[in-house]
Amino acid sequence: MAVKFASDDWAMQFKDEVNKSNVYKSAAKGWKWTVGLVVEAEPDKNFPESRGVVMDLFDGEARDITVGPAADAQRCDFVITAPYSRWKQVATRELDATKGMLQGKLKLKGDLPTIVRYTKASQEMTECTARVPVEWPDEG
Amino acid sequence: MHGPGTGRMAGRRVESTADEPGLVRYASSEPSAFAGMLGGLIEANVLANPGKRKDFDALAARVGIWVTDIEEGVTLVFDAGRLTVYDGLEPRRTITIRAEADTVMSLSNLKIGLFGLPVYYDEVGRGVALKLMKGKLRIDGMLTNVPTLNRVTRVFSVQ
Repeated sequence: MAVKFASDDWAMQFKDEVNKSNVYKSAAKGWKWTVGLVVEAEPDKNFPESRGVVMDLFDGEARDITVGPAADAQRCDFVITAPYSRWKQVATRELDATKGMLQGKLKLKGDLPTIVRYTKASQEMTECTARVPVEWPDEG
Repeated sequence: MHGPGTGRMAGRRVESTADEPGLVRYASSEPSAFAGMLGGLIEANVLANPGKRKDFDALAARVGIWVTDIEEGVTLVFDAGRLTVYDGLEPRRTITIRAEADTVMSLSNLKIGLFGLPVYYDEVGRGVALKLMKGKLRIDGMLTNVPTLNRVTRVFSVQ
């Protein structure tokens, strides 16, 4: 069943998808940092306030994924920031996250060698996002 | 020349290396995200690893990297302990690497093995070698600059 984007239900399903993924489990072995996703507001897309997704990821497991204020996400070890419509493009596989980062469409803050070392894990994380059926606020 | 602006994806700025100003410079006052990323990556590698620093200090080459699926590229001008990152491909390149974004990321994940040579027999290495054979990874100047290419790979690799 589809869930509202960036809602608590969405976070729960996203976490379940991550923890179901053997690819992620193996690729993220050794990862021990928090990741914050900042979804910037786009009022004209019916996404009026910026939101933050805080991901507590440890050694191939998503211990917790929560949605809250953008400021919470900005305090994480790694922070990826983009407007709502960019995240929608990522979650619908219209934009590859790696390409998006190289093009500056998704802005990353954090230690680069670490994130590059875990490229496969981050790609699988994107796949997990795409597997969550979503109700988008600018549709229907 | 300036470091990449705050908030760029590299997350690391020239100013952050206060003990070694100018280790990595950017030819543009507004370097592309890709330029900022590569410059930041190499800077972090070199500062964290004395072996990579030795390679960096010995490296004199003009290396182009063109990402075919985003149609963006950079030229890395290594000058014995200094790196200048240019947006786009500059002339007189020693080596030019052309590949899709994923492959460029794989290059930075190549393990370095015995005698400082990149490892092509593990999963990442085999993937890179296969792309090279299939023409999905092109390295102009490779055959005449193998030692330089290996040194660039060592500096670039996060492994």
